[in-house]
Amino acid sequence: MSRHERWAAGAVALMLVAGAAIFLYAPTDYLQGPVQRIFYLHVSSAIAAYGCFTVVLIGGLVYLRRESLVADRFARAGAVVGVVFTTVTLVMGMLWAKPIWGTYWTWDARLTSTLVLWMIYAGYLLVRRLADPGRQAARIAAVVGIFGFVDVPVVHFSVTWWRTQHPGPVVVNDALPPEMLATFLLTMACTLALAAVLIAIRYRIETLSDERMHMAEEVKVITAPEPRMAP
Amino acid sequence: MNPVRVAIAVARKDLKSEWRTRELVPALAQFVVLALLIGNFGFQVDTHNASAIAPGILWLALVFAGLVAFGRTFAAEREQASLEAMLMTPASPVAIFAGKAMAATVLLVLCEVVLLPALTLFFGTPLSGDVVAAVLLATVGMAALGVLFAAIVARVRARELLLPLLTLPLWIPFIVAGGQAVQSAMGLPGSYQEAMGLLLDFDILFVVLTSLAARFVLDE
Amino acid sequence: MSFVVANGLTHWFGRELVLEGVDLVVDTGEHMAVLGDNGAGKTTLLRVLATALRPTAGRLQIAGLDAFREKRRLRHHVGYLAHAPGLYPALSAVENLEFFCDLQEVSRTRVEEALDIVAMTSVARRRADQLSRGMQQRLAIARAILHEPRLLVLDEPDASLGEDAAELLTRVMQGKTVIMATHDRALANRLCQRTLELRHGRSHGTATRLHVVT
Repeated sequence: MSRHERWAAGAVALMLVAGAAIFLYAPTDYLQGPVQRIFYLHVSSAIAAYGCFTVVLIGGLVYLRRESLVADRFARAGAVVGVVFTTVTLVMGMLWAKPIWGTYWTWDARLTSTLVLWMIYAGYLLVRRLADPGRQAARIAAVVGIFGFVDVPVVHFSVTWWRTQHPGPVVVNDALPPEMLATFLLTMACTLALAAVLIAIRYRIETLSDERMHMAEEVKVITAPEPRMAP
Repeated sequence: MNPVRVAIAVARKDLKSEWRTRELVPALAQFVVLALLIGNFGFQVDTHNASAIAPGILWLALVFAGLVAFGRTFAAEREQASLEAMLMTPASPVAIFAGKAMAATVLLVLCEVVLLPALTLFFGTPLSGDVVAAVLLATVGMAALGVLFAAIVARVRARELLLPLLTLPLWIPFIVAGGQAVQSAMGLPGSYQEAMGLLLDFDILFVVLTSLAARFVLDE
Repeated sequence: MSFVVANGLTHWFGRELVLEGVDLVVDTGEHMAVLGDNGAGKTTLLRVLATALRPTAGRLQIAGLDAFREKRRLRHHVGYLAHAPGLYPALSAVENLEFFCDLQEVSRTRVEEALDIVAMTSVARRRADQLSRGMQQRLAIARAILHEPRLLVLDEPDASLGEDAAELLTRVMQGKTVIMATHDRALANRLCQRTLELRHGRSHGTATRLHVVT
């Protein structure tokens, strides 16, 4: 078993533990019923997605500063994994909304900005696919990633300003009973671990594909022996 | 050279080319009028609902006209391989970018000169200074973003396809605030002042961000 | 004194190796021709030497400066004629050049001088898209020498120039350090002191090897 396979097995085990906690340990919500159990993974994967896009943001910023290939690979890995978690968040949110709100979709701030988040990073992945691999692709992708990150809170804010009907953040104002809170924190920790493992695996894949593209170690800052003034 | 003069030289060059060929503006003007026509049939517009529907159609037409206008600004340079020649001069890439953005803004404003009266003509909505101000204010930030992303997609394949995918999500704040401003200027409820304030904030935010990013996008 | 010194210029386009460890030295005032078949990497090498493209690896010094770090400072000293003329079709020859005078920070009086060197003063007011292919090429050359660069990098300058190509290029290249790519061996021998041949490597198909043919 390789290092990455061991990590993957660990992450799967953690998610099974989280699943057990969600379905066996956490009490059933007396208002929403079993549907409420979606909440644990829904919010956890949203947080994981934001974490992934933070990796894209930081990777992009570092790349623009240093041209570090490592930073760029992290950004690429973060974007793929982030889009997966955003998809999970959106789908689970819709499954929850149908019985509770009576509709799969509503144009409130959080839903809209999550959808925009998904769109932007799906666009990011398209840029990566359609640009010829190299420094230029990495640079323009970094710009897309940074703009995406800035745009999401702005969209969120502008739609909130417009109107909102999403349930408020239940975790911070400790409205959750302790068992639910414990389940939520456990699920979140496991999901974040899963995200980290996925990024690590994806990072490895990006490294291998860079090596096939011969970009790996050759990209070094080119220096002259000693700069002199132009005569 | 003074970056402001570079930007003006680039903008003048683009506008002069457009004036000579008249390629873009007449086509875009016709396009926005057609968009109003489609909107009219798509929404079953009558005298009662016109004022509620008109702002939406205005923004739809503007957004798609903008995508075409901004997409052209760099596509033309790429086709003619002249972008590289410009970037091979000592002029700063940010100044070149600013010049292209200025020219693209002027072209879009020319479209608006057709769009706004046409909207009044077909939908009977008032054409007030408030409406014009809101549209112009939104145009600034949308142009900055649109031209930056046009420069980005000029570097990739399938650029016509990618430009809307990348730009539209970033334009949403402008459409939300601009839409609100136009609606209240047309007599629907909502605070005009607040919407204009937001538009201004978005303009500042994205103009600053795009000028910081332009260097990385334009450099080889 | 050597004006251009390149070591191990290597460039990959994706999975394709276009330049493989090219070394070259060009002395001040020397004219060097780059020969090779289509796809041998001539254009890529010239783009690198003109600082339009940063290679995957290798180093390049121009006038004693690191060409990739001090690229902006070198722009005053390097003139580059790209493979495509890259003119603004709706602008006249003069307007095309005036625009680049502004960007190059040189006086607009250079326009007339440059047009004179490439012998196209008679069509100076004509729009670029109404010029013949040869005239467009001349205009592009005029743009490359507008700021009187010390190093000229010319990618197939003889393309569609016609009879007086050699004569015109002699005028253009006079007193400058020049690296030019061409298919025309006779022209290269006439204009340049040295030629450098780029060839496909046999094993990879696109790899290139360097042979100095004096």
